[in-house]
Amino acid sequence: MTVKRLQNFINGEWIDASTDKFVEIINPARGTVLSEVPMSTKADADAAVKAAQDAYPDWRNTPPVARARYLHRLIELMEDNFNELSIVQTTEHGKTIDESRGETRRGIEMIEVASGIPSLMQGYNLEDIAHGIDEYAINQPLGVFCCIAPFNFPFMVPLWFLPFAIACGNTFVVKSSPRTPMSQVDLFKLLEEIDLPPGVVNLVNGANEAAEALMDNPDMKGVTFVGSTPVGRQIYRKCGETGKRVIVQAGAKNYVVIMPDAVLEESTMVSLSASFFGNAGQRCLAGGNLLVVGDDEAYKRFMDRFVEGASKIRVGDGLDESVQMGPVQNAESKQRVVGVIEKGIAEGAKLTLDGRELNLVGDVPEACFLNPSIFENVTPDMSLAREEIFGPVASVVRAKDLDEAIDIIHDNPYGNASSIFTNNGKWARQFQHDVNAGNIGINVGIVAPMSFFPFGGRKDSFFGTLHGQGRDVIRFFTDPKIVITRWF
Amino acid sequence: MKLNTMAGVMSFVSKIENDSASFYRNYAEKYPELESIFLSWNKENSKFEKNIKRTYYGVITDTLESNYAFQGLDTDDCNFETQLPEDADSSEAGKKAREIEETIKNFYLKAAQLSDGLMADIPRLFRKIAKKREERCQALESL
Repeated sequence: MTVKRLQNFINGEWIDASTDKFVEIINPARGTVLSEVPMSTKADADAAVKAAQDAYPDWRNTPPVARARYLHRLIELMEDNFNELSIVQTTEHGKTIDESRGETRRGIEMIEVASGIPSLMQGYNLEDIAHGIDEYAINQPLGVFCCIAPFNFPFMVPLWFLPFAIACGNTFVVKSSPRTPMSQVDLFKLLEEIDLPPGVVNLVNGANEAAEALMDNPDMKGVTFVGSTPVGRQIYRKCGETGKRVIVQAGAKNYVVIMPDAVLEESTMVSLSASFFGNAGQRCLAGGNLLVVGDDEAYKRFMDRFVEGASKIRVGDGLDESVQMGPVQNAESKQRVVGVIEKGIAEGAKLTLDGRELNLVGDVPEACFLNPSIFENVTPDMSLAREEIFGPVASVVRAKDLDEAIDIIHDNPYGNASSIFTNNGKWARQFQHDVNAGNIGINVGIVAPMSFFPFGGRKDSFFGTLHGQGRDVIRFFTDPKIVITRWF
Repeated sequence: MKLNTMAGVMSFVSKIENDSASFYRNYAEKYPELESIFLSWNKENSKFEKNIKRTYYGVITDTLESNYAFQGLDTDDCNFETQLPEDADSSEAGKKAREIEETIKNFYLKAAQLSDGLMADIPRLFRKIAKKREERCQALESL
């Protein structure tokens, strides 16, 4: 059987990449080959930027309300194809079907907010800044932007940026993840259907060569990136050198603090399972370190329930509706996580729940699967506590009180998210005020900002000034032009 | 079978709504005194299913605990027969309908309780449909 080769979408047309290098996209739950993705070249990326640049003058002159109407049509098409879009995410990534549907919904929510652009993009003015003189700030688009997408939320993440960018009057290029490109191809089929002018949105499939070319192109006005901290740091540096705007949402190692008074109801335990093991731990908002405050009795009471809950999680093919956790995205990811587990043991942590011992639902190949793992006796200096694992592994650290817990959190290089579970308002308020992280959860395990709020991030988790989503991203995709008028 | 995930619950809700709808559709004609009530419930069931699916697709996001929100829900607690003996009279049909409605009501109530605080608008809708099921039981009682 011939495997389908993915194409790029450039200037309103599906075209083959100018390469003979292809990578197989494999369903991690089944081991079957789904498609082949081209490793697009610099020439392909440059063609996409040129198409976007050519489309820009007319597109920026299209009234915002007319630009928003394209987005309304896209929402309608996405609702009509909701399930199909979600199934593709599960097959190429491995996440459960509920998680994929959640990703699809989040994507649609971005477009819903962006379609309010006639209000969101408005500038401001003041009469009589001096006698008879008025001043205006008009928000104008800038040109071509791009998104370099990650593998873990392959459908949603480009939608943190694309709808806002084009609603503002910019044009856009997505460079899909070379590991999970198929859901972007499906999104672009819908973008093709809404009949945007050619070149307003473009898709380039590939890896480093295409990404580098997008960043090097002098017509590229800004870059958005979601991915690891080392790569994010390079992109930030490169964009600084070339004078491009940049949003880099990078790695994370999120602490979840359990205070002695935390309500250990079923819903709390469920929330923690979802935080640590949802998306097989492959999300920048996943709980990584569990910081338990209190005496031995409180600790044991909590840990017994946490370990029991994790050990019962059903792991298998995400399309099976009884499955609660899918595989990690590929076999290399699994080997990397296994390496982290071995290192944790060598560093002296206690492996209370060993996810390498597989207990899978159904007849699935083992290559990409891990069950949840839990380490105890983890100290803040261990690599388990400091490094992003991006897999279903929870590291449990202990602290005597909240002050020590906050010190431990601040000792970590990352600052993406942090949560506290407590019933004490004073502790919650102190946590919210003091903890240096971009997203804070109070009795919430996954602190994912809605589309109408910015997606925060601090320290090594974020590079840039303005964030994705919300009003921040409108400012990112526009520049205020000041007009001062006087009439004689 | 254990139902762990929201997706699993959705599929099961479709099944029980369709199964009970087909019971009402199949027997409406046979029992003229129950015909109008059975036909209206047949129609209402598809509305329930549609409302639940719309709510699910409307609220599901990647941060909801949908993969873990229904621990303890079991399809075995919601088994019901939709066949009547050939010679069953209308009172037996009414009794069977009451059993079906009672079983479905209890399923929705348990699902609502388990997902409280975790699944946004879903528990509220489940309780609303359970209430409608209770009203059906009362209507059958008064026949």
